[in-house]
Amino acid sequence: MSLKNVLAVALGILSAIGGFVDIGDLVFNTQAGATFGYQLLWVVVVGVVGIIVYSEMCGRVAAVAKRPVFDLVRERAGFGAGLGTLIAAAIVNLMTCAAEVGGVAICIQLLSGLPYRLLIVLAVVGLVVVSWVLPFEWIERVFGYLGLCLLVFAVAAIKLHPDWGMVAHGFVPGSHTGGSLSVYLYFVVGLLGAAMTPYEVYFYSSGAVEDGWGLKELGLNKVTAMIGFLSFSLMIVAGALFLPQSIDPQFLGTPALAAAHVFGKVGLLLALVGILFAVGGAAIETSFSGAYNTAQFFGWRWGKKERPAAASRFTLAWVVIFALAALVVLTGYDPVKLTEYSVIFSVVALPLTYLPILLVANDRTYMGSKTNGRLANVLGVAYFILIIAIALAAIPLMLITNGGQG
Amino acid sequence: MQSLAAEGALLGRDSAAGKTTAIYTRVHSEALAKAASKAAASLQSATTEPGLEPKLRRVASLAGEVSDDLKQLGHASRNEQLRLAKELSKAAEELG
Repeated sequence: MSLKNVLAVALGILSAIGGFVDIGDLVFNTQAGATFGYQLLWVVVVGVVGIIVYSEMCGRVAAVAKRPVFDLVRERAGFGAGLGTLIAAAIVNLMTCAAEVGGVAICIQLLSGLPYRLLIVLAVVGLVVVSWVLPFEWIERVFGYLGLCLLVFAVAAIKLHPDWGMVAHGFVPGSHTGGSLSVYLYFVVGLLGAAMTPYEVYFYSSGAVEDGWGLKELGLNKVTAMIGFLSFSLMIVAGALFLPQSIDPQFLGTPALAAAHVFGKVGLLLALVGILFAVGGAAIETSFSGAYNTAQFFGWRWGKKERPAAASRFTLAWVVIFALAALVVLTGYDPVKLTEYSVIFSVVALPLTYLPILLVANDRTYMGSKTNGRLANVLGVAYFILIIAIALAAIPLMLITNGGQG
Repeated sequence: MQSLAAEGALLGRDSAAGKTTAIYTRVHSEALAKAASKAAASLQSATTEPGLEPKLRRVASLAGEVSDDLKQLGHASRNEQLRLAKELSKAAEELG
């Protein structure tokens, strides 16, 4: 690997650490930690491995076939099924984008004290300007590196002196204590959904096509996909601080209170800035993901690297998604509740996203000699079975547990 | 309600110890107070079987107190924040 590639890997890992967490991870990891302590850490491992398996697959498809996922969804599934997938993905994308926009506004409100509704408008305008003006490399760097402030939770997790034996035990699936089985399963589904959310896959594969990935980038693809330990920190912090005090984190500002408890004002500011940029970056990803899907389905010219006038319908699509997201949160929907719904609904749509990737990654017509190896297929099929199971269980569990409230 | 009281107590203690910014304390306590106020209103209009009525009235009264304490928290001095944190902590224990 050349020095340039080593540097690219290092920078990619840094920005991926900061950019890995979105509002779904924040909400589900802290709520799961506050309800079950460290007992669900194993689910984070399963989710992270799952997103690695499928990100690697769709990165490889993009590099070899030069086609993004949604392009192939329509081709493989046909117009009707493709349209169904597009609608499902669009609804989930919009809900997620709205939750992220609301999250950005809440973070700025906690930092500035300005009115929430005004901040929703300012946040969307700011995100549109940033997305319009900055190239993706810079968006990734700015949001990824500033999102690294979330590392304050990793240090806080250590400083809170959790019972490391119990933490280690949490990485092994088994019986649980502290809540009903249905609530436990609800969090299993939610944590997997938050880790394997479809917009990340759509965004990742379209970005890889835009960046013109080739065979040389496949090694880089494998390394940059292997990130996700920040989720552990959030759950450990919640398990060590919130669970003993019976605090159920229902606000986006609550995780930041843990950083303040350990490190004072510096910790609080680092946590809020980290959440702001992690959630802001995810808002951009969701809006672009929705625009990529729509443009690829209808065969429009697409790409962030295109001049906005040249890809006018694509550009209009991501601007409209931002505007609709702002409208949703302006009507008063709580971003945390919205996150819970968006993650659970995204779980239902997961099979529609992941099946075409698995099929195309095994298709020699597209992939030539770069089809899935035995390991990728074993893991890919195992995860697809898991995805089907959680997709079937998601809505019933949400209804039975009243959204994890028991 | 127990969770809101417990979180308010933690916020009050940390704020009194100078661990949070004044803006964060004000904005976050307002969010907690709003949720507590909504829950308190539901409890005050709730009905139950006669045997459980005194318990419900006590919980509704506690919820009202928690809501009031949270409303004061964001604008209180450090000493007052400590006092409010103690009250909220006691309420959380009783609600638990």
